[in-house]
Amino acid sequence: MFEDVYKSYRAGVPVLRGMNLIIERGEFVFITGPSGSGKSTLLRLLYRAERVDQGRILFMGRDVARLRDESVPFLRRNIGVVFQDFKIVSSWSVYENVAITLEVLGLPTRLIKARVGEVLERVGLTGRGGDVAGVLSGGEQQRVALARAIVGEPALILADEPTGNLDPQLALDILGLFDEIHESGTTVLFATHDRTLLEVRPRRLIVLDEGKAMDVPNGVSTPPDEDYDNQLPL
Amino acid sequence: MFDGMTRRARRGMLREWRLHTLSVFSLAVAFVCLGAALLVVANLRAIEERWAHAGRFSVYLKDQATQPDIDLVKSALTKVPGVTEVRYVSSGQARAEFGMSEGAAKSDLAALPVEAFPASIEVLVRPDMPDADIAEITGKLKVLPAIEDVETYQAWTERLSRLVRGGVAAASLLAIVVFASVLAVVGSTIRLALQRRRTEVEVLKLVGATDVFVKGPFLLEGSAQGAMGAVGAVVLLGLLFAIVRGRLDGELVTLIGLEPTFLPWPVAIGMIAVGAFLGMAAAALGLRKLVTV
Repeated sequence: MFEDVYKSYRAGVPVLRGMNLIIERGEFVFITGPSGSGKSTLLRLLYRAERVDQGRILFMGRDVARLRDESVPFLRRNIGVVFQDFKIVSSWSVYENVAITLEVLGLPTRLIKARVGEVLERVGLTGRGGDVAGVLSGGEQQRVALARAIVGEPALILADEPTGNLDPQLALDILGLFDEIHESGTTVLFATHDRTLLEVRPRRLIVLDEGKAMDVPNGVSTPPDEDYDNQLPL
Repeated sequence: MFDGMTRRARRGMLREWRLHTLSVFSLAVAFVCLGAALLVVANLRAIEERWAHAGRFSVYLKDQATQPDIDLVKSALTKVPGVTEVRYVSSGQARAEFGMSEGAAKSDLAALPVEAFPASIEVLVRPDMPDADIAEITGKLKVLPAIEDVETYQAWTERLSRLVRGGVAAASLLAIVVFASVLAVVGSTIRLALQRRRTEVEVLKLVGATDVFVKGPFLLEGSAQGAMGAVGAVVLLGLLFAIVRGRLDGELVTLIGLEPTFLPWPVAIGMIAVGAFLGMAAAALGLRKLVTV
């Protein structure tokens, strides 16, 4: 829940201006808006890569904005994040990239192996655990990133333009994986400005523009008419 | 968790082995300088210790000293508690003995006049005899008319002590330089490694790793570099010491009066421990501005 959240990087140029937003547990929400509208900022505020200037962000009953620095790692263990540039360690193996999430939790090696194996199967990378991540294709690297995000079974998945570097078909495949994750009960916040994805999956849509959020509960369920298209600052 | 840290530290060092090797080599060179200074100081201390408890002094006689004078002094000395042996050495014997010990220079020494080697009474005392007692005896001897001078080797010991103090000061100064270089070298290496592994750090912080988890491998790497540098220095110094001793063993014993020794083990182990600690401290300093996500 975002409550009257303000955030600016430069004085007098706010990215978010008194934004209010409620996202229920288990929802799949698209976040869209033009470049610089604050999509990434909204996500970064959630996993506390940034601090709000004003307002509250409640997640699992805690105000993320007021968390002490020592508590941030524990917040992040409940959030999986996927980026456009994958952010995987290219010199590590696929297994190592995924297992690190569980190593941080201090789980025993045997359990880590089993869980990583299951997750790699889920994202379509069965038997690829030993491959060096850096030599994989873009789509495969994004699958590794997704596997890393979900292996700890977080309550929330944040996806910041995860299909931005992929061709349309791969983008749809990745979106399909997010759908599957969502179906298992995980809340997903998916930031994108790819209209195709918004049209393919009619989900709740938050449109960010000029620091405010506009809620479109049913998303772009049908090809948008001209008037509606004008409402979306895409 | 510690297993994971050591594994990541090992992996990090192996992947950037050139960088780490260069760092370890630089540290080894710095530690060799410090180790060499400590080695010299340790041996000077041993010589000082030996000379301070030489258990002997020489009573030099005037040329005009007669046999009764000599016998009187010998007799008096023999009765002093703590004196174990009293031996008269004539000028000729002194020249002959010096020539024997100097070997190669014997022919040159033979050319020296007999007066160059005064007759003396060599007195051996118990090594644990207090300096004050020896000073009291020598004070009494110096006033006797047949005696020119008494040499207790105290002046040599004092000179040596000054030399040792100078050596300790030089080693301390060198230690500061070495510590500074360890901090600079390891700190720079770790900062560079951190830069190269920026994505790894970002990923770790993203998945909820604590600062200890993120920094741990870098601290271990710094510590390992410091310790390996010091180990390398001890090994290198040991090899050099063995080579020098192998070639100059006899001469060194003659020159300094005792067999030179390598760094005492506590000092060598201490140097490695200091290397490890400094390496870790340098890494911690280098990690102050950890990548934030």
